[in-house]
Amino acid sequence: MFNYYLRLALSSIRRTPVLSALMVLALGLGIGAFMTTFTVYHLMSGDPIPHRSDMLYAVQLDNWDPNRPPTESARDVRAQLTWQDGNNLVLADTPATRQVHMYGTGAVVVPEGNDPPFDESVRATWHSFFPMFDVPFLYGGPWGQAEDEARAGVAVIGRELNDKLFNGENSVGRDLQLDDQHYRVVGVIDDWQPMPRFYHSDWGRAFEDTEQVFIPMNRAIDLQMGQRGNTNCWKMPDEDLPLFEGFLKSECVFTQFWAELETPQQVAAYKDYLDNYVRGQKAIGRFERPLATFISDVMEWMDVMRVVRDDNRVLLRLSFLFLLVCVLNTVGLLMAKFMGKGGEVALRRAMGASRRQVFQQNLIEVGLIGVLGGLAGAGLAWLGLRAVENMYRGYQHLVHLDAVMLLTAIATATVFAVLAGMYPVWRVSRLAPAGLLKTQ
Amino acid sequence: MTDIGPIFRALLQNKLGTLLIALQIALTLAIVTNAAFITQQRAADIARPTGLDEPNTGIILTTIFDMQLDQMQMLRDDLETLRTIPGVIAATVVNSVPASGSGWNDGLYVDAEQLSNESVNYGRFMVDEQGLDTFGLELVAGRNFEPEDMVRFSMEENGIPGVLVVSQALADALFPDGDALGKTVFNEVGGGQPMRIVGIYDHMQNAWPSSDRVDLTALVPVYMLFGGGMYTLRTEPGQLPRVLTEAEELLSKNRSRIIDYVRTFEEQKRRTYSGDIAMIKLLGSVIAVLSVITGLGIVGLAWFSVTQRRKQIGTRRALGATRWDIVRYFMVEIGLISMTGLFIGMIGTIALNWFLDTSYEVGRMPLWYLPVGTAALWLLGQLAVLVPARRAAKIPPALATRSV
Repeated sequence: MFNYYLRLALSSIRRTPVLSALMVLALGLGIGAFMTTFTVYHLMSGDPIPHRSDMLYAVQLDNWDPNRPPTESARDVRAQLTWQDGNNLVLADTPATRQVHMYGTGAVVVPEGNDPPFDESVRATWHSFFPMFDVPFLYGGPWGQAEDEARAGVAVIGRELNDKLFNGENSVGRDLQLDDQHYRVVGVIDDWQPMPRFYHSDWGRAFEDTEQVFIPMNRAIDLQMGQRGNTNCWKMPDEDLPLFEGFLKSECVFTQFWAELETPQQVAAYKDYLDNYVRGQKAIGRFERPLATFISDVMEWMDVMRVVRDDNRVLLRLSFLFLLVCVLNTVGLLMAKFMGKGGEVALRRAMGASRRQVFQQNLIEVGLIGVLGGLAGAGLAWLGLRAVENMYRGYQHLVHLDAVMLLTAIATATVFAVLAGMYPVWRVSRLAPAGLLKTQ
Repeated sequence: MTDIGPIFRALLQNKLGTLLIALQIALTLAIVTNAAFITQQRAADIARPTGLDEPNTGIILTTIFDMQLDQMQMLRDDLETLRTIPGVIAATVVNSVPASGSGWNDGLYVDAEQLSNESVNYGRFMVDEQGLDTFGLELVAGRNFEPEDMVRFSMEENGIPGVLVVSQALADALFPDGDALGKTVFNEVGGGQPMRIVGIYDHMQNAWPSSDRVDLTALVPVYMLFGGGMYTLRTEPGQLPRVLTEAEELLSKNRSRIIDYVRTFEEQKRRTYSGDIAMIKLLGSVIAVLSVITGLGIVGLAWFSVTQRRKQIGTRRALGATRWDIVRYFMVEIGLISMTGLFIGMIGTIALNWFLDTSYEVGRMPLWYLPVGTAALWLLGQLAVLVPARRAAKIPPALATRSV
């Protein structure tokens, strides 16, 4: 029976090619537009590290200008720390399982042989970075506590850089030249791109590539490697000190700090620890504002940092309304089409088809239009995502359309089409056959 | 207009169909006008002048990796090289350029008693004596930098500039009485780092075009020596592409540093505004596609109703209705539906704008968008219905007699 209904549906669609094409096109465009914005929104608002996001906490301390308006929420406090606070905390014996302190810098990679040197972003961090953020290794592994303490010249590099410099071979133990310094490669990271890049999600940087070079923070500080990214100061560094030393000891914030806390008790104890730390600093004349410290887990932090932009929310809302117009358009066209089918329906009813059978048969036709619309929509969403990828910088990881999305597109279109077609189909199946047959 | 009665009664026969198309027109109006409003706003943001000679300005970023290199000598050599390329009007070394999304912001105090929250925030651009000319700024008062004003800022040497040249907007913000020239301001709370205002230029934006202090900027005579240099140059009209190619070739000769990029200022500006440009393109496509869908929807429905009413139309023609009468019937019909839809749509448009503004701060839409959007959609309905209506007008009167 189903096959017969399907054949009937196909021939009915072929009988009104323009109207059917319009319906498929409208549904397709609506689904395509909505899927495009939804995919971007979904990936932006996704959990970048699902199995650990509830135990990783970003740390904020309110060291700012006492003359500024009072702090009410985490959004009023700088997202970064001063080097001195981060360094004090990372060296302290705190209730946290692990802590990491880091900043973004850069260097020129000088390849062996004749290849031209090139610039790379570098993350200066601690050994705890890799296990905390569950970084997958292809070769070797992270450096250890000993290298951090020894301020050693070791480096972990990304797979992409390893392919470029060492042809993808196991480069553990090889030499890496950054500027005029030499480092020993201890590990190669496999493909790793948390989305958003939560660990350093400064405005506009949440969707950038992960760095390809990681070196011990102490080493970078010794080499006076400059910070890349936001630096904020509310007070000039001490001018009597050499510039970099003055900067490190200043109230300028430029580092990121995370703590791993596994239980609610640990969270509470850590928060107390931070508060006490700030009280201690107040005693030596720093932190002149009322005491305010914040810890936010990954998803809370993504909210504090406003990782999903308002523009994306506006586009999502508008594209949903757009889809609604397309569905309304399809209902209108279906109404017209099924009202025109009165004669055929009457004939089938007169020949003994029940209302139920007429209803089923026409619903299959509507469903078929939905599936076709969904396919068109998935194709258009793919094109839409390519367009989005070209228009925004740093969106390349956001715009992949996977099988789940494809099936969702088709299912959504079919559901919308069937819902849209329900009323016209019901109407046509209720028509009294006698009246319509007479006019033929 | 005696047709309206029967047309209206005919519409009531198909209440749901009429309501659907009216709703579709209403939603289309709400989306299209709001999208047009946002698009217009973003375009206006982008069109604001940065103050630079935008089409003739280029940027070259270099990074050194031989830390033993004499950076000051390199800067002098590079600037010398750039300034002698034919077609270059001026070249300077900068810490950043306007509207690039990355730069230096600082606070100025007019006296030593002011508190730290009373400073005037400004975008600080570190340039040499050709900075003013490279950015294409017009000096409205005072003087440009002299070579002896220049200081060095590096890991070893924390040179503090003694003078600065400010934008008219910054001058007014610091000294509302208009007597900024010659005054001393302080870069630090408590009267630290005094600088004398020696010149005032017309206008230049800071690095962050979305900031609310975008026009408060100043030039300071500083050589920044931190591992490389960002060079900016201005050329005679039309010379920029050739000059940039030549500049890249010449600067590449120094092998102890790399050239990160060579780009035109216009490209830099496009990068900074990429989010807004994308929004314009996406919303532009929404407007276009939605109008087409709604237009085609009207065509489809009217086409179908023509097919349905062939006999009725034939009869009307046989009874003396002209072709124009038939066309007019459909135009009045869609006109009535449009009116209903556009009325609901106007309320919807205001509601949607209110929602988008309170939730995402897109701004209040000026009221003139409503009549313009309404007129455009009204016209769309009339144009869309013309196609099927003209087909209806071609139905021969003889059809009335044929199938009876």
